[in-house]
Amino acid sequence: MKKIVIASVVGSIAFLNGANFNEEAEKDRKALIAYFEKKFADKKNAALYFPYTPKEELENNFRWGIKWEEFRLGSYAFNKTGRAQYEEMNEFPPYEDNIEAGKELYEKTKFKSGKSFKDCFPDPAIAGDYPKYIKGKGVVTLGGAINNCLVENGEKPWNMNKGKMADLQAYFAATSREKGKKINIVIDSKEAAEAYARGKKAYYSQRGYLKLSCATCHVQGAGQRVRNEYMSPLLGHVTHFPVYRLKWEALGTLERRVKGCNKDQGETPHKPGSQWMNELAYFMAYMSNGLPVDGPDIRK
Amino acid sequence: MKKIVLAAVAFGVTLGSANLLEEAVKLDVKKVCDVKTNGLEKVIGVAEKFNPEAIKLGVEFKRLGIRNREYIKYTKEAIKKKQKEAVIKYKEKGKEKSQTFPTDYAAWRACTFAIRALQQVKEAEETWRLAVPGDGFKF
Repeated sequence: MKKIVIASVVGSIAFLNGANFNEEAEKDRKALIAYFEKKFADKKNAALYFPYTPKEELENNFRWGIKWEEFRLGSYAFNKTGRAQYEEMNEFPPYEDNIEAGKELYEKTKFKSGKSFKDCFPDPAIAGDYPKYIKGKGVVTLGGAINNCLVENGEKPWNMNKGKMADLQAYFAATSREKGKKINIVIDSKEAAEAYARGKKAYYSQRGYLKLSCATCHVQGAGQRVRNEYMSPLLGHVTHFPVYRLKWEALGTLERRVKGCNKDQGETPHKPGSQWMNELAYFMAYMSNGLPVDGPDIRK
Repeated sequence: MKKIVLAAVAFGVTLGSANLLEEAVKLDVKKVCDVKTNGLEKVIGVAEKFNPEAIKLGVEFKRLGIRNREYIKYTKEAIKKKQKEAVIKYKEKGKEKSQTFPTDYAAWRACTFAIRALQQVKEAEETWRLAVPGDGFKF
């Protein structure tokens, strides 16, 4: 009896400790949701959150009262004209062929080892489960997991930004969306919590010759306009990748997009697959925990 | 013994790294990178000293497609050849490109970029939390 009591006490402590590893991340996520819901709640707040946006624009082109789940649409959650164009483009999605190509890669690629992607990823509906913290490997993004699978089977890793990598991720995302999967990022160890904290610090640190942080544009700046484009909110960012960007005229991964942001900030872009990039993605993905996987999608 | 030597070298490298960062923080960019007062060689020397640390920390500046290491490399060449203009070569999307700048301007830019990249690391230590909703950022 004594042994059972001790075992259950030890078990409870371990469980409680385990549950606490994501405490900081959960607090951050809830605060971020509260911030964005308040920011886009009512045009009465506009003077506070959008001091440089013309009144007419706020009245005519903004949707208000946006709730958590809608942020998966990025700036199209609040931007009326942008949303109309987006819906029109989605009538004939330009990424359909990419999903097909990804499906073929998943089903038909045979590695030198005789194995295939199906051996590494028996269930393709996994887009919402990455990045993951894996002991001994650190944070592994979906692209990292795909490349690990290739390398472990004697193949060369793929370019993390586009091409086959984006196609296979498009198939994973589309399958996840069909099955109603949600972003489900897990922080279940001290090391994972530390990786999250580093990613968070990177997101909020000002960098480059323009001295901008990611948050300058996508937290405080979200909803404000740069030239003719509204900046999208961090909340929901990872849900729709890979994306077909009109600027690229092709499908690209989250890593490709972050590299573009690094360049815009005025710094040498971080390499996809680097610790910095993986941990930033880990933080970003956790912020969207619980939102439905909505990729692939179109963005300008 | 080998392990002790390796540990000492690693410690030395870490210490050197921290020292460069601390040294950069104390510099007045306007004064140190002033070409008229200090001369081209000295200014590009400052850039050469601090930029590798910026690369190591993943904070090297890049402007108009040109990384600061490229500003430094080609400005040094121009200074050596006593050219008034520095032709900075760089790659963009796999293509070879170049841009021309007055040498003194390129040296000033390389110097300020190298130092400011490191100073910003220190500044961010104190400011990043101010942008986190629910933490330093009240809404």
